[in-house]
Amino acid sequence: MDEPVISVKNLYFSYNSVPVLENVTFDVADREFLAIIGPNGGGKSTLIKLMLGLLKPDAGQVRVFNKPPAKVSYCFGYVPQDVLVNKGFPISVFEVVLMGRLRHHRRARIGGSDREAAARALEIMGMRKYENHKIDDLSGGQRERVFIARALTIDPDILVLDEPTASVDTGGRAELYNLLKDLNRTRTIVVVSHDLMVMYSNATAVACVNRQLYYHDKGEITQDMLDLGYQCPVELIAHGQPHRVLKVHEDGS
Amino acid sequence: MIEALQFEFMRNALFAGLFASLICGVTGSFVVVNRMVFLAGGIAHAAYGGIGLALFLGIPYIIGTMGFSLAAALLMTAVTLRAAQRSDTFIGVLWATGMAIGIILTDLTPGYHADLMSYLFGSILAVPAADILWMLGMGAAALALTLYFYRDLIAISYDVEFAKLRGVPVRALYFVFMALVAVSIVFIIRVVGLILVIALLSIPPYIAEKYAGSLGMMMAVAVLLSAVFNIAGLWIAFIFDLTSGASIILVAAAGFFISLAVDPLISKRRRQ
Ligand SMILES: Nc1ncnc2c1ncn2[C@@H]1O[C@H](COP(=O)(O)OP(=O)(O)OP(=O)(O)O)[C@@H](O)[C@H]1O
Ligand SMILES: [Mg+2]
Repeated sequence: MDEPVISVKNLYFSYNSVPVLENVTFDVADREFLAIIGPNGGGKSTLIKLMLGLLKPDAGQVRVFNKPPAKVSYCFGYVPQDVLVNKGFPISVFEVVLMGRLRHHRRARIGGSDREAAARALEIMGMRKYENHKIDDLSGGQRERVFIARALTIDPDILVLDEPTASVDTGGRAELYNLLKDLNRTRTIVVVSHDLMVMYSNATAVACVNRQLYYHDKGEITQDMLDLGYQCPVELIAHGQPHRVLKVHEDGS
Repeated sequence: MIEALQFEFMRNALFAGLFASLICGVTGSFVVVNRMVFLAGGIAHAAYGGIGLALFLGIPYIIGTMGFSLAAALLMTAVTLRAAQRSDTFIGVLWATGMAIGIILTDLTPGYHADLMSYLFGSILAVPAADILWMLGMGAAALALTLYFYRDLIAISYDVEFAKLRGVPVRALYFVFMALVAVSIVFIIRVVGLILVIALLSIPPYIAEKYAGSLGMMMAVAVLLSAVFNIAGLWIAFIFDLTSGASIILVAAAGFFISLAVDPLISKRRRQ
């Protein structure tokens, strides 16, 4: 088999000694479409930040293209979950998207090719006509599109999205998942989402995160899952339903 | 106004005010958008320890204050970067400690220290020519650094995590710019005094932030506003024979309240 793009081994992480992730091990293959699901507070965003190298593990390791993630952070396009970063900050939509190109040429300055890339990404997300608006003046869903555009500016090898559809309307969701399917042909995608139905139509693997991580590959994603919607055993436990479509998690809990 | 400029001290004061405006508008905008006004206040007041130290050792004031405010700035920035939510207590403690050290060291220095008042409330009319050149240099340095790192500054102020991911040296930039703020504060103390420095550093950027479409625009507007406040305050102080630092701040405060008052009108107009 090919080298995995991302490899996580025996990863442990805690915030102020409160454990959040325990003994997490999994690989993400090239051109995988990994869906990460799990309950609120399960540690999905934390896992993503560890994969990006924004947080350091307590124990275990994360390798991206067989290097520490912080060394290859230029490979990542990232759409964070919390986009209400600094309200009142005077910044236009275009400038937000331009941030995606920072250090693309290893320099602090931004040039013409960076502006073109930002304009193209805005075009893809259908937000070009808002480029001179202040970011605060957009709706939640429009802002989400802008942050996705920001992640697309560098044409990343790995695209990581943390709940990108939370505030996007139904039409926008379908569009976004079509776009992701398209992008998935040439790159690896990791998406956190509670939007299971749509996820399963694209995903090649599913990881359920609730302190521990339960990994399910392509073979386990079946038509039944699509029909039933909420299929992660973590969700089933949470909802007290007896259905089990996925393989039973080995170490239970 | 014109006849006032016949006096050399008035010309000096005018230049000092203008260069202070350049420094305040640029570094103050960085402070305001990063919600670090309290930290800047801490730096300014900790600088008083440096004034006491300079007095006690008989060394130039600039060395004492520069040392103290730089040290305070680096310490406070380190703590803020480590635990942003918990840093305010630490800043408050350093703030008070700096001032206490300053007061004790002055107590221990024999003699009457009339010039201490000028550090507390500023003395723009007595800024020496050498300091004015220093201020010009500082303003130019602040401007050059800001222009070069402009995109990085936007990124670390708006979305620091994303900036980190893109490889922006976030920590180094914070330290460099807070050091810049510390050095700026030392010079602005000359103009309005350390008690009022925070007002000049925060009021013009605060007003500018609401009307500007970008960080660069915000800085430009803040520099202009600050210059207007400085000149108007200086003029009022000259005419009515008042303390210049306090006059400048009162003009700035008036500007602040006027902007608060016209805000609702503007947003109403926009909606129509
Ligand atoms: N910066 C932080 N400091 C301390 N604890 C944190 C921090 N961020 C998250 N946590 C805690 O870590 C746990 C996992 O959080 P995380 O954000 O990874 O969950 P999540 O799976 O993304 O949840 P959601 O579905 O709500 O986005 C939670 O219990 C949360 O309280
Ligand atoms: Mg999350």
